[in-house]
Amino acid sequence: MIRIEHLSKNFGNLSVLRDISAEIEKGEVISIIGPSGSGKSTFLRCVNLLDRPTSGKISINGVNILDRHTDVARVRQKMNMVFQAFNLFTHLTVLENLTLAPVKLLGRSRQEAERKGHDLLRLIGLGEKSMSYPDELSGGQKQRVAIARCLAMEPEIILFDEPTSALDPTMVSEVLSVIRRLAKEGLTMLIVTHEMDFARDVSTRVFYLDEGTIYEQGTPGEIFDNPCKEKTKAFIRRQQSLYQRLFSADFDLYSLNAEVESFCSRHLVPLKSRHDLTLLIEEVLQLYCASSSSFPIDITVNYSEKTGQLELLLESPPGSANPLELQGEDYALGLSIIGNLLQDRKFTHSENRNILKLYLKNP
Amino acid sequence: MRFFARSCLVAFMIFVTLAACDNGAEGSRKKGYAAVEELKSERIGVLLGSTHDRYAASHFPQAQIFQYKSPSDMVVAVKSGKVDAAIYSSAELEELMRQQQDIGIIGKSLYSTMLAMGFHKGDDELRTSFNRFLASTRQNGVYDDMSTRWMKTGNHEMPVIPESKPASGTLVVGMVHDMGFPFITVQNNRLVGFNVEMLDRFGVYAGKKIEYVSLDFGSLIAALESRKIDMIGSVISITPERAKSVDFSDPYYEEQAKVFALNKNIAGASSDNDKKSRGNFLTRFLSGTAESFQSNIIQENRWRLILSGLWVTVVISFLSTLFGTVLGGAVCFFRMSNNVLFQSLARSYISVMRGTPVLVVLMLIFYVVFASVNIEPVIVAVFAFGMNFAAYVAEIYRAGIEGIDRGQREAGIAMGFSRAETFRHIILPQTVMRILPVYKGEFISLVKMTSIVGYIAVQDLTKASDIIRSRTFDAFFPIIMVAVLYYLISWTLLLLIGYLEKTINPRIRRRTVPQQA
Repeated sequence: MIRIEHLSKNFGNLSVLRDISAEIEKGEVISIIGPSGSGKSTFLRCVNLLDRPTSGKISINGVNILDRHTDVARVRQKMNMVFQAFNLFTHLTVLENLTLAPVKLLGRSRQEAERKGHDLLRLIGLGEKSMSYPDELSGGQKQRVAIARCLAMEPEIILFDEPTSALDPTMVSEVLSVIRRLAKEGLTMLIVTHEMDFARDVSTRVFYLDEGTIYEQGTPGEIFDNPCKEKTKAFIRRQQSLYQRLFSADFDLYSLNAEVESFCSRHLVPLKSRHDLTLLIEEVLQLYCASSSSFPIDITVNYSEKTGQLELLLESPPGSANPLELQGEDYALGLSIIGNLLQDRKFTHSENRNILKLYLKNP
Repeated sequence: MRFFARSCLVAFMIFVTLAACDNGAEGSRKKGYAAVEELKSERIGVLLGSTHDRYAASHFPQAQIFQYKSPSDMVVAVKSGKVDAAIYSSAELEELMRQQQDIGIIGKSLYSTMLAMGFHKGDDELRTSFNRFLASTRQNGVYDDMSTRWMKTGNHEMPVIPESKPASGTLVVGMVHDMGFPFITVQNNRLVGFNVEMLDRFGVYAGKKIEYVSLDFGSLIAALESRKIDMIGSVISITPERAKSVDFSDPYYEEQAKVFALNKNIAGASSDNDKKSRGNFLTRFLSGTAESFQSNIIQENRWRLILSGLWVTVVISFLSTLFGTVLGGAVCFFRMSNNVLFQSLARSYISVMRGTPVLVVLMLIFYVVFASVNIEPVIVAVFAFGMNFAAYVAEIYRAGIEGIDRGQREAGIAMGFSRAETFRHIILPQTVMRILPVYKGEFISLVKMTSIVGYIAVQDLTKASDIIRSRTFDAFFPIIMVAVLYYLISWTLLLLIGYLEKTINPRIRRRTVPQQA
């Protein structure tokens, strides 16, 4: 139904989309996820030519919409869009928002359009708001009206551009449930969203956009449970990382602590975990120094915003021992502190690296 | 609140009127001039661009010279003590003194000038034709009869001039309509005076229909040079400077330049100041108002003049608003287009129109752009005001359109509306709603701006009051009346736009739509 070939889009010198190709069948619900700035919205806006692609080819139902002779307005009538900012027509009542396009574009009679409009408003649960003006509605109500306005044109495709991003958390679910309902009715939908649970739930396929292209795609199961590529994984776990390299035993502990501190506050790591992490780093590094491990040591802190899991990775050159296996009274206190902080630990030798993975207890 | 505001307004107007009526009674201190030389360092009024103007500048270098655009303004200035004395011509002064007993002449005449008709440079045919006509009237006694009637006896009746043959073609004559008796003035809503009778007779003599155009004194020569008129029939005296751009006929009258002032300021003249009716302030005010009303509105059916002026003002306001609104839309379209050429064109149009006084634009269009085209001045006025209005409203439109968030436009386009349809159904209705309050203000200032059309020979409301003033020499009543009339026009138009605003504002409109579902 939608066929995209080698789509690219530049804004000036900035290349936003690079050589995207995709094919979307009738009735598919595609969720488009990815970090901000990865071009998700631009991709959607290229599909209905609100932004004109720099190069590539887009066909809708076999019609090349980039062809100069194509009546794009006519194609758009079958492919409507829901915006992040709702974009309701503020001078018209809710009902008039729904009837304007069918009357002017599809040549419906006013009566017929109004009857259909009332039906749609009842469907989205806003039957009694038909005579209200958009600024009298809450954000969630506005977005539901915007969806009904799309439906009034009886489209085959609906593009959702972050439909819940401008909403209060309390209103997100009312909009999502309306979209879920449409998905069941077999409309073809492309949804740019940050609601991962919703995307997993509603979509037939998920596009993960990164680096200006469809970095990975698959069923919700594939993308959310078993992502193959690194960036996808990090994104799905909403993982944040801090990396530092220590060159000798005389490293600047205070500067390292400051880095860790600012990383934690940037990503809203809970205060308890923050203290635990600095304590752990301090103790572990003391053991490293004591065990006369060789330097440099690479430290990576990973924090999953989704699960709240903090992990500490220490990579040292081959040959050095696992500092947690040091014996002796001098180390007993340090080891017991570390043991109390950890939930799990792993030490692996590989050819050129020794890797110690420490998982902090989740408070 | 509204009632309070209205009351304040009415109170203010009454106050102004009272102050006005009492003016003149105050006057300035007695001066007692006996000779012209005593005016050396005083305030002297002259007509702008007249020979008196230059005479005063060269002979009274220490005096403050005030230049007036019409004789009536000058007379009123003398009467209200704004100037100590003024220089004017003998024939008009004699007539003036017949009506206004409180002014008199100081000393002897300063110099004499010759009055003549003015023609295009090189238009010898018309000029010699007029000269022959003038000579014939002198021979057959018509001239003597005319000068006796108009100059000596103060008879203001226009005689019936027998027409000999049907007119072929017209002769456009420019003159200052409110020059004053005996030469040219408006009486019973028609032009009368010595010059008018002479020109009417000349028309019969030459077999042409005479068409009179009302001009300011300063515009006479410009109008002749740009061929808006065929000849100058106004009271204009021969000077070497004017002869450079105008061919003059033989002189038809010799005028003396004389200095006049209030009697009370002239040594030896009897002042009638004491004769002023006494009685308390209120009765004086009431009788004064009644008298003013009688002389400015009832007498000679002057209300007709006001009414036709009012009509002209309304027509010009309405048409230039219409034209300006449409043109402003076009300018705004160009201004907002992506084409750099269109955009810069519109940008410069707006900056030029906003940066030049509308009066200058008006004169430029009339005397330069349509110099050689015989065009109705009202149309020129509509053009000029409309063009000015367009520049302002174009920016108002742009602000209104840009104030609507881009999202609604995108929503319209994403739905399948074309760009034009999106504009029509979504952007335009909201823009209109937004800009009406500002547009309203711009519109009102346009209505008031039209009061300057007198410059290009249109008799609007302001000009009508000027003409009345030139007859009654009552400065205050006509001005206040015109102020009230302008206010009423603006107020009525505001009511209309306010009604429009209500019909398109959804909040108010909704109350009339029955609740459904």
